[in-house]
Parts: sequence; structure tokens; C-alpha cells
Amino acid sequence: MKSQALQELVKRIFSDEKTKLQFTSDPDSVISQFALTDQEKRAVLTAYAKLGLVTSNSQQLEAALKPTYTWYSPIP
Amino acid sequence: MSLCHPIMWQERQLKLLRDEIEAILVPLSEIAGFSDLIKQPLTQSRQGLVIGSTKHDPWPLLPLIVCEAISGQYKHALPAIAALQLLRIAAEVFDDVEDADSSMSLSARYGSAIATNVATTLIILAEKAITRLKRTRVEDQTIIRVFDTINSCYITTCIGQHLDLSLIPGEGVSEEKYLKIAYMKSASTLECACCVGTSLATQDQELIEIFSTFGHNLGMASQIANDIQGILQGSDIIKRKITLPVIFALNQADYRRRNILKRAFDNSTESAPNLTQTRELLFRTGAINYATVKMEFYKQLAQDSLAEAERTGVRVERLKLFLE
Repeated sequence: MKSQALQELVKRIFSDEKTKLQFTSDPDSVISQFALTDQEKRAVLTAYAKLGLVTSNSQQLEAALKPTYTWYSPIP
Repeated sequence: MSLCHPIMWQERQLKLLRDEIEAILVPLSEIAGFSDLIKQPLTQSRQGLVIGSTKHDPWPLLPLIVCEAISGQYKHALPAIAALQLLRIAAEVFDDVEDADSSMSLSARYGSAIATNVATTLIILAEKAITRLKRTRVEDQTIIRVFDTINSCYITTCIGQHLDLSLIPGEGVSEEKYLKIAYMKSASTLECACCVGTSLATQDQELIEIFSTFGHNLGMASQIANDIQGILQGSDIIKRKITLPVIFALNQADYRRRNILKRAFDNSTESAPNLTQTRELLFRTGAINYATVKMEFYKQLAQDSLAEAERTGVRVERLKLFLE
């Protein structure tokens, strides 16, 4: 899956304070500026609803990783 | 299918799986030293199946759970599930020989020749295990299909490992290439596990497709979760491993941060990377955020597959545990 638009969206949020503020108050208004697929939009919104913007380690982040991480460790 | 307490059904199924593997290992029992060597990688917690312990790590049960969700039965599938477990462990032993980066590995302790022979034996035992499906009255046609699915999967895994080993240190890896290798090396084994579990429950091609897709996306989500953990715990920073968050940061960070990260992940640099600074930069550039979105992307696709299966009457409650 090529996800250039998704990369651009995350890059913009983390490099531009104004966009970051806009995203935290109205995610859809920022997402609509990028050509994301429906699945990508859903992933952005679900991840944000679960974790907010991930700027540091947190219990929520550990909890989000836990199911897949503890069920299965890929071959390194 | 009764939905008893998770630990109870996990224990019961893990015990049956352990018994099946013990039965497959019987021919080796006369040569104690060799038998013990074969069991060593089986008893490491990373592999998910600790013989003789009550550890609850249900990954090896995934294909059994798929099989039971569809048909309400799973015992006939045990030989194939044991084969998958043996093959996975063989792949890990080979991986340790090739990467030579673990002091606890069989190859580090006994040398690569011994480790290679153990891994080869595990593959032969896996092949023997598949033939045991005849004892559980699985039809020949299904056994051949299972053989073909497993062999096709491990060809993919070998190609993925080759691509990974052929990466030139210092040369940038695109996200596309990284995801391709992640699929081939890692997610393909979960796709295979689900495909095998489904094939032993039904001949319905649509369901086989649905669960293969579920395994694929679950595998991709797991790989990315592993990548994020590698950064949080610092192990992948110390090993200078180029994973999804690192690729994002190297491509998207500004000039100054990119240079710091380039140095941190440069294998030709002798000094150890600054763990705290590198981790912090991966957060600040949005790389960890990006990886969590990608993980969520694959999780959602896996959930879509489960919803699709549920619409056909499959009971997917236990499979949801892999995602929630």
C-alpha cells in the first residue's frame, strides 16, 4: 500500500503547530485536505480516538500494542 | 462451541498441541542429547509454545481457533498446527544462524553447524507431522492442499528473508519495500496459519479467502506493533534496525533531525546511538504516530474480515481477542 498522502498528513501535523491545533479540535477538517483512502481516514480517526496524537510513550500506547504484540512476535 | 473462560480453553488446546508435538518428537527420544537440542528452541518463551509449562501464549492456537470458529471442531487439525509451530521455530533457528545477533540462540551456544542440523530436523518433523493428519481422518485432498499452502508460504518467507539479507547497509529502504519484506517474512506466516485452519474446517473458497486476508492484515498489524515496541524498549535503536517508524522519520524529518537520525542508524558508526535522543526524535517527527495509524489501518482491515466471516455464521468472538 502506497500511503504518500498519509505520510504528508502526519508530517504536516507534526511540523506545523497551526495544523496540529486544527487537527486536535477538528480532525476531519484537516483530513479532508489530503487524498486519503476511506480506510486510511478511518485508521487516522480511530487511532486518534484511542491514543490522541502520539508524542510520547503512554499507558494507552502500551495497551494499544499489547494484543497483537503479546499474541505474536514476528521473526526478527 | 462453548465459550468458557479464555484461560481454560487456551490451556486445553495448548495441552493438546504440546501432546501432539511430544508425539511427533518420539522417534528422537532414543538419542537423548539430540532430542534435548531439538526441544531447546521449543522451550524458549519467544516461540509461544513452552513444552511442559502452563504459560499462556495463544499465538500457536490461532489456526485452531479459526478451525473451531468455522466448524465447531479442532482436534483433527492438531497435526497441521503442530507442523506450523515446528516450521516457525525452524525459521527462527535459521534466522539466528543468519543474523548471528543473539547470544542466547542455539547457534551462539552450539555453533552454526549444530543449529542448522536442528533447524533442518524441525522441518522434516513438520513434514512428518502433516502426514499425521491421515490419523485424524482428514481427506487426502485436504492434506495435499494443506501441504501446498504451507510450502507456498514458506517459499514466500524464504524470499522475504533473502530480500532482507540482501539489503545494502546505508542504502535507504522505501516504505513500499519494507512493507513487502514485512509481508513476506512475517505476515505471510499468519496468513498461512489462518488459511490452514480454514482449509481444515471447510472447502468454502470464500471463507478461505476471508480468513487468509484476516491473517495477512493481523500479521501486518503485529509486525508494526513489534516495530513500535522495538523503539519504545530501545532494542531496535541499539541494533540500528531500520523499521517502519525509522523509514518515516528518515524520509519526512527536517534536515537537522534527519542527519541526527541518519547517524543513529548508521551501521558503520562505531559509537552507540543515543537511545533517549533517538527515541525522542522518533516521537517528535510523528514517526511513532504514523506507525500507530498504519497499525490501526491493518487492524481495521482484519476486523472487516471478521465482520464478513460473522455474516456467514462464523463465531468470531475468540478471534477478536487478537485485535482488542
